[in-house]
Amino acid sequence: MTRAIRHITMLTLKDLRIEARGRQTIGLVVVLAVLIVVVLALGLGSGGGAGGLTATAILWVAYLFGGVLIFEKTMAVERHDDALAGLLLAPIDRGSIYIAKLLANLVLMFALALVVTPVGIMFFQFDLSVAPGGFALVMAVSMIGYAAVGTLFAALTSSTRLAGGLLAMLVFPITLPVVLISTRVLANLFEHGTSLAGSGLALLIAFDLMFLAASWLVFDVVLEA
Amino acid sequence: MKSTPVRIVGPVYWVVTFGLLAAVTAMMVWWTPREETMGDVQKVFYIHLPAAINTFVACFVVFIASVMYLLQRRSWWDDLGFAAAKVAVLLASIVLLTGMIWGRSAWGAWWQWTPRLTFSLILWLLYVVYLMIRPSIESSQRRALICAVYGVIAFMDVPLVWLSTKLLPDIHPKSISMAPEMRLTLLAWFVPMTMLAAGLLVASMRINRLQRAASEPAEELDEPRLVPAGGQA
Repeated sequence: MTRAIRHITMLTLKDLRIEARGRQTIGLVVVLAVLIVVVLALGLGSGGGAGGLTATAILWVAYLFGGVLIFEKTMAVERHDDALAGLLLAPIDRGSIYIAKLLANLVLMFALALVVTPVGIMFFQFDLSVAPGGFALVMAVSMIGYAAVGTLFAALTSSTRLAGGLLAMLVFPITLPVVLISTRVLANLFEHGTSLAGSGLALLIAFDLMFLAASWLVFDVVLEA
Repeated sequence: MKSTPVRIVGPVYWVVTFGLLAAVTAMMVWWTPREETMGDVQKVFYIHLPAAINTFVACFVVFIASVMYLLQRRSWWDDLGFAAAKVAVLLASIVLLTGMIWGRSAWGAWWQWTPRLTFSLILWLLYVVYLMIRPSIESSQRRALICAVYGVIAFMDVPLVWLSTKLLPDIHPKSISMAPEMRLTLLAWFVPMTMLAAGLLVASMRINRLQRAASEPAEELDEPRLVPAGGQA
């Protein structure tokens, strides 16, 4: 167990160190996400006509596209110079590789959210002060589910010609329930003041657990080729 | 190419299927009484429900084929998954269209974000993607692997989609009280609809196998029986 944890920490830090030194992903992703928010804000009428909870939907669009780019980039690092072969030869459990990739992806996604969320909230005059903790919790739980599926499919598609486009095609429909649930839960929370303990959050957690377990199990087969 | 039983059974099967389809359509149009509030539009329901049930069965076949592919890595399972996904998308389209026609008459709009319509739409999207990604992956083994993993994950997603759409406000009828003739028509529709789904699945499967045999060297095929070389198919 401690060995696995050591492996996971080592691999996660490796990915984050590569990112910290090259800064190839996060800058790109943040700018893309901000662009998406700006385009949608302008398109929907910047006069604040589409205020309030529209912000959560628009933030989701930014998270989804930013996420795809993050998943693809962190996996592409392994394809470079055949680093993946080295990783597979190392005496490390494939499940640990998956968890490490997932953690690195999550750190990057949270970093993305940290920059983009305030931008979205500002543009759409969304009053976060009603339940900032609830908002953060719902979004974090949703992102874990999204990253769980995204990390798995990034490993699958990274060797194909269309990598990024294909990844988006595969991950978006599967993530639709997460988007649906989290926007509904936030709507209830912010508009009706319903507590988070309702079925919505539990469903999100169920999604996370189910896809974490499934991805962890299948990852073994996925990495072979 | 085809063995004699296949040559006879195939056409007979389709003649029976389309004959039954014509019979239940006639039954639906002339024999079944009109519903009081909805009028004739209510009759799409007889197509809607059997198509919906068969969609789930087709999705389940995709799931089973995907799991089996991951376990055995035989191209046969990939072809089955592909065939079942095609049937699933076709049936899901029927479900969506009939649902929309019904909704137009009942709610005055072609589309409402009700739980079941949303659910059908997401289900349709999930399996359309399965079909759409296939041509864009060159390596056949990679394609089979990606589709198999997707087939498993997509099927696991279905109950979550269902539960998540429950959070939307519902105006869909929960249960419908039906006259005995109506119930009989509905039951009758299940037979040709299921036969149609099964027949399409088998036909599509045969096409997939022949296409694979034509495009890949024989030694890569793990089911030599199906290689068209004058043997039995």
